[in-house]
Amino acid sequence: MADQPVVVVDQVTKTYGKPNEKQYQALKGINLTVNKGEFVGIMGASGSGKTTLLNILSTLDAPTSGQVTINGQDVTQLRGNQLSDFRAKQIGFIFQDFNLLENLTARENITLPLSLQNVSARQARGAVDKIATTLGIKGVLGHYPTELSGGQKQRVAAARALVQEPAILFGDEPTGALDSTSARELLNTMETLNQDQGVSILLVTHDPFSASYAQRILFIKDGQIGQELVHGDKTQEEFYQEILSTLGTFQQ
Amino acid sequence: MLNKLALGGIRSRFRDYAVLFSGLVISGAIFYMFMALATNSEFIAKNAPVTGANFIFMFGAVLLAIITLVYIVYANTFLMSMRQRDYAMFIMLGAKSNKIGQLIFLETVLIGLMATAVGVIVGIGLTVVTANILMAQLHAPLIGFSGFYLPAVLSTFAFFIVLFVIAAFFNQRRLLKTPILQLLHADQTPNRIKQKRIWFIIQIVGAVVLLAIGYAAMIYIKFFQLLAIPLALVTIVAGTYFLFNSLFVGLIALLKRQERFANKGIRMFTLSQLSFRIRDYTKILSVVAMLFALALGAITIGIGFNHEIPLMASSQSKYDVVLHNPSTNLIRQAEGLTDATKVSYNQKIVGENVYYVDTQVKAHPFLVPKVTGLGESTTRTLNAGAINKDDGSAAMALNEFIPNAREVKTPKVVSAAVFASLKGQTNTIVTYRVPDFVQQYDRIKALVAADDKANKVNTSIPMMNSKFTAYEVINGMFSGLEFMGFFLGLAFLAMLASTLMFKILSGAAYDKSRYLMLQKVGVRPGLLRKSIRQEIGALFLLPGLVGVVHVLFGLQLFRTLMANPYDRIWIPFTIFIVLYALYYGLTVWLYQSIVINKQLAAK
Ligand SMILES: Nc1ncnc2c1ncn2[C@@H]1O[C@H](COP(=O)(O)OP(=O)(O)OP(=O)(O)O)[C@@H](O)[C@H]1O
Ligand SMILES: [Mg+2]
Repeated sequence: MADQPVVVVDQVTKTYGKPNEKQYQALKGINLTVNKGEFVGIMGASGSGKTTLLNILSTLDAPTSGQVTINGQDVTQLRGNQLSDFRAKQIGFIFQDFNLLENLTARENITLPLSLQNVSARQARGAVDKIATTLGIKGVLGHYPTELSGGQKQRVAAARALVQEPAILFGDEPTGALDSTSARELLNTMETLNQDQGVSILLVTHDPFSASYAQRILFIKDGQIGQELVHGDKTQEEFYQEILSTLGTFQQ
Repeated sequence: MLNKLALGGIRSRFRDYAVLFSGLVISGAIFYMFMALATNSEFIAKNAPVTGANFIFMFGAVLLAIITLVYIVYANTFLMSMRQRDYAMFIMLGAKSNKIGQLIFLETVLIGLMATAVGVIVGIGLTVVTANILMAQLHAPLIGFSGFYLPAVLSTFAFFIVLFVIAAFFNQRRLLKTPILQLLHADQTPNRIKQKRIWFIIQIVGAVVLLAIGYAAMIYIKFFQLLAIPLALVTIVAGTYFLFNSLFVGLIALLKRQERFANKGIRMFTLSQLSFRIRDYTKILSVVAMLFALALGAITIGIGFNHEIPLMASSQSKYDVVLHNPSTNLIRQAEGLTDATKVSYNQKIVGENVYYVDTQVKAHPFLVPKVTGLGESTTRTLNAGAINKDDGSAAMALNEFIPNAREVKTPKVVSAAVFASLKGQTNTIVTYRVPDFVQQYDRIKALVAADDKANKVNTSIPMMNSKFTAYEVINGMFSGLEFMGFFLGLAFLAMLASTLMFKILSGAAYDKSRYLMLQKVGVRPGLLRKSIRQEIGALFLLPGLVGVVHVLFGLQLFRTLMANPYDRIWIPFTIFIVLYALYYGLTVWLYQSIVINKQLAAK
């Protein structure tokens, strides 16, 4: 029980378009598992179905068939408010374009998920301070998003995703809009969170360098999982090279 | 090619355009409605026996033009916010900028023209409907008033075309002068706004002091005389502006600082939305509050007069109907009056005297009005003794008892024996009193007409001695004013509520991404809806409240014209609040349908 996987995806397919319209099958039977405390990367060419998969995992979209279980809960069975509440409590999400609320300060942005669960103001303050310290944004909590750098914005977004201690953190190209230094800092932070705090992470990315932080990488092609690479005892440099060469052969 | 692009743009954002378009149509329709009245000087002259009526309408027209201008500016900003990205994209793709300029011009003017045309048609329809309803309600045939009035059509078109051509030039210039990158990223909201504490305090104090002066000017109008109105107008407008700019902003900031209150659900978000909004909204909220007060005031005064007329008629006579020698048919017809108290008297007219029988007068003393003030009277009972030593006022009051009376005769009360011995024909006078004159107006009118006909009364020379004739004369004098009060009030209400609605909806496009994000993070759609209801509720409520307070003080101005301007004040307030609430509901509904997305995965 203690070691049940955080995410189990079973034969998930996704077909876009209504039955009488032109249809397109973006996912053709995906199976995957993310264990507790794992850092898993998903790679694939543009249009291979990564975002589609992540939207389904994060309950923003429903699969056409198949099952998705997160933290023991079959999410395809959830409806309406249950879905909202599930997202609020169990799922953390970082988007490529930050998605912060510009009319709230960094602190207010991070506090939002706690307010939703009516956590007391004092407790919320403590929790926000803690996660902000971990992510190194303590000094900018009073700033509005337009007063933050891209890297800081993404850390605030990460803090907001993590503050309610979700079962898993999803990221769709979270480094996509960052310069290489900020990207590296964010990835280091994610690695620390994963190793020290045991946060489970599923990261979708194009970028082999970002992917090299993962313990395991799944390659997706034409809506199916094609290949899997495991970090194992390799150094990050070796793993990075392996990813590069796999991409070379995989994408032909 | 370019025209195709423009049309394509419209098609792709159909709903936004629908909001824009219907808003413009409403403003066109209301402007037309108002113009149908204001440009019809013949009608005004005939129906408003007050010399200032023309001036009042000019004043109203200027106010309406200003608010319409504000409205068009907002509508135009909304249009630009929808289009600037597309245009910037076209320019980036290599379209010639003067071509784009032409396109913008064409689009703005075209939309304006179409909206005005539809607006005028809707306006004609609305004018006919409102006029008919009001005429039926007020018992006032409005001579010379028609739904379609050419000068109104022309002036509406002229006004809107000028506005839209100006707007088109403005849009063109702005798009071509703004750097492309800025156009592409125009939907970022500004960040923190700083305000000096001192300035803030000055504004609060200023608001309170200015409003106090304005209210005092209205209350002590006897002291301030002619100065009262301009003084009140200036101080209240300025005070209202400061109020919104300081007090409400401060209030929200205060609420945000109460962590225990603000950190519940998405209150913090709602409050932030509001505080960002309110600054952007101070001007419009002040205008809305002022217009709200003017509109509500106009309707209240209209209804006040409406209520005053039967009271004034009551100072003329305490009997609702008096029949002279009625036929059995007419008596039967009179039985149709609901809850009527019927009293009959016998009467003989001999020379200059009118005789009544003492037993009848003793059983039912005559009732005559005793005027105590403007539109105020009490009922005085006249028994035999009082009549026989009367100074002439009883004679005046009882004149309506004489069939086809043309001159005043002296009433005398005598014993049955004396009465019998008098020469002359015995008249039967039947009086009716009903609880509500206006409610039974139609029946009373029919009875009076039948009675006049039977007694061969020359109705072309009204003798203002019965309640009905008094009502007709007074109503004729005031119903024009009442009508204008209602009309003005409703037009302003529709305009101010549409402006507010429009301003709120024009921000919806920017807010879309925020609400989508909140849903992704796991905020229940129900909670978002609630937040929207509260946020828009505050934007409607604040100017409404301020407007109501303004009206309550403003009615003081009418104490010299009316017995009690506050009487039955709940009627106009209810009508007004219901209409305003409908606008609120509509705004919330439209806003929610724009910003709350069912499809979360779609970006
Ligand atoms: N709403 C939709 N309707 C129809 N087809 C869609 C929709 N969303 C995505 N697709 C199609 O599904 C496929 C997978 O899209 P998806 O966005 O998942 O790709 P991706 O792997 O995230 O690509 P990228 O790396 O470019 O972000 C694509 O071929 C895309 O055209
Ligand atoms: Mg993608």
